[in-house]
Amino acid sequence: MKQKKRTMTSLIRTEWLKMRKYSAFWWIIGITALSYPGINYIFYMVYDNLTNQPTQASKLAKMAVGNPFTFPDVWHTVAYFSSWFVFIPAVVVIMFISNEYTFKTHRQNIIDGWSRRQFITSKLIDVLIISLLITLIYTAVSLVAGIANHERLIRDTWGKSYYIGLFALQTFAQLSIAFLIGFLVRKAFLALGIFLFYYMIFEPIIVGLLKVYGKDSGKYMPLEISDRIIPVPAFLGKLNTPEKYQEALNDIQPHVLITIILTAIIWFICYWVNSRKDLK
Amino acid sequence: MDTILSINNITKSYGAVKALKGVSFDVPEGSVFGILGPNGSGKTTLLGIVMDVLKANSGNFLWFGQPGSPQIRRKIGSLLETPNFYSYLSAIDNLKITQAISGRGTSNDIDVVLKKVNLYDRRKSTFKSFSLGMKQRLAIGAALLGDPGVLVLDEPTNGLDPEGIAEIRRLIVELKDKGHTIIMASHLLDEVEKVCTHAAILKTGNLLTTGHVDEIMMDEDVVELSAADTNALINILKQMGKEVVLDDKNNTIQIIFPKGTAKMDEINRYCFDKGIVLTQLVLRKKRLEARFFELTNN
Repeated sequence: MKQKKRTMTSLIRTEWLKMRKYSAFWWIIGITALSYPGINYIFYMVYDNLTNQPTQASKLAKMAVGNPFTFPDVWHTVAYFSSWFVFIPAVVVIMFISNEYTFKTHRQNIIDGWSRRQFITSKLIDVLIISLLITLIYTAVSLVAGIANHERLIRDTWGKSYYIGLFALQTFAQLSIAFLIGFLVRKAFLALGIFLFYYMIFEPIIVGLLKVYGKDSGKYMPLEISDRIIPVPAFLGKLNTPEKYQEALNDIQPHVLITIILTAIIWFICYWVNSRKDLK
Repeated sequence: MDTILSINNITKSYGAVKALKGVSFDVPEGSVFGILGPNGSGKTTLLGIVMDVLKANSGNFLWFGQPGSPQIRRKIGSLLETPNFYSYLSAIDNLKITQAISGRGTSNDIDVVLKKVNLYDRRKSTFKSFSLGMKQRLAIGAALLGDPGVLVLDEPTNGLDPEGIAEIRRLIVELKDKGHTIIMASHLLDEVEKVCTHAAILKTGNLLTTGHVDEIMMDEDVVELSAADTNALINILKQMGKEVVLDDKNNTIQIIFPKGTAKMDEINRYCFDKGIVLTQLVLRKKRLEARFFELTNN
């Protein structure tokens, strides 16, 4: 047990040594730290314009949906909008693994004394660290937005803070998919191209087409599986169809389970492939 | 003498290409063991297998009598093929990673090896700013970190200038004198001949020969002689029934005997009895280069 703990500490320390002076990593974290408040502010303005009109309809809308940027709904709202930008940290996840191939350090780390298993664990740690940092940024943005929109009557600050866990899981799951692509494709630009194409074009089209034909089987597409653990927030969902919104909420639990299973499979593939192949 | 590395019947294929065809040999403790062979002979593949970056199709290897493992690799300083470092990190940060993974050495040791490979003044420069020779020197520094008892060096003088090559040679001799075992793949025969105690020669995945360097080179006895009257010496040697080779440049004569059969005292007496006083009589080792070409051209 002690040995395992020491090994884990050593892996984290080594990855930190690789990470801390990699400028792309800090740029990406910086861009994420700007994009999360940015996108949420934009949607706050949309909400504000929608509900602060001097019309009866506007007042009714505000009554119906409440303020999505106050506690506890802010946890859900910010998680949803922020999750659109998972492709930004995905860039650095792909860079971290493709760098190892470019510098041939995926071989050198083994030669120097890591097992092949430890090498993949070190990359798993990278993805976990990035997911954690991204989640911290999301949490900070949620807290700031919640406090800024504080309404005296609402005291349930942490009521929906379980979205922190859901956001972390979704981020980790989707970054794991990015990692798998980088791990198998090896070339940074090709892997990035494939991931972005899949993330932004291919899967949304497939999911959309299936919806057009009245089928919801698109929810089992790799990214959509974890997308469904953070459904469209109440103020967007309720304005359309309350039944569908409830349906989406009901889907969270099973999708959490499927997301965990898919992510476990992804990492199992990485461990398995790396244990068998020649490291060239 | 204990065996540091024992290689048993290793085969390796890349698709239809058979890179290694049942290679076996032992590396004795304290030796400088040269793995020689032309390009594509399987040297780097063999080192890749014993360092676990490549998987053998069959056969096995033992380090210190045990199957290879991460714990064992941590005790071995290695430089395989090219220097592999993080280009955006400095020399010192790269060695910190080597240290963190291998557990070899301390922060002070990093400075020591950087001084040893003449990179201390550039320790804060990024790896990408280094010349080829500097990159190679950093890789040698990483292999030396923590003073491991066994070193695996694949073409260690790649990219180095003549002074750098001489430095590495001195370093290898120094390490050998301290009792370290060095396994070195090279196609530079002069380099191997100067530093190696043992060697294995590979060609297209086959092991041609292995053993002590002297044994490999002395497959036959080459006797070098000279006398004041070279023509007279040639005549009496021909009477002995020996094929005579004249080296015009040095004015010496070479005759070949089967390995272990040249009796220097008898040759000297024979010439003296025939009225020739020898000015030189030496049992010469064949140059490794000549032996290498003999073996690899057949």
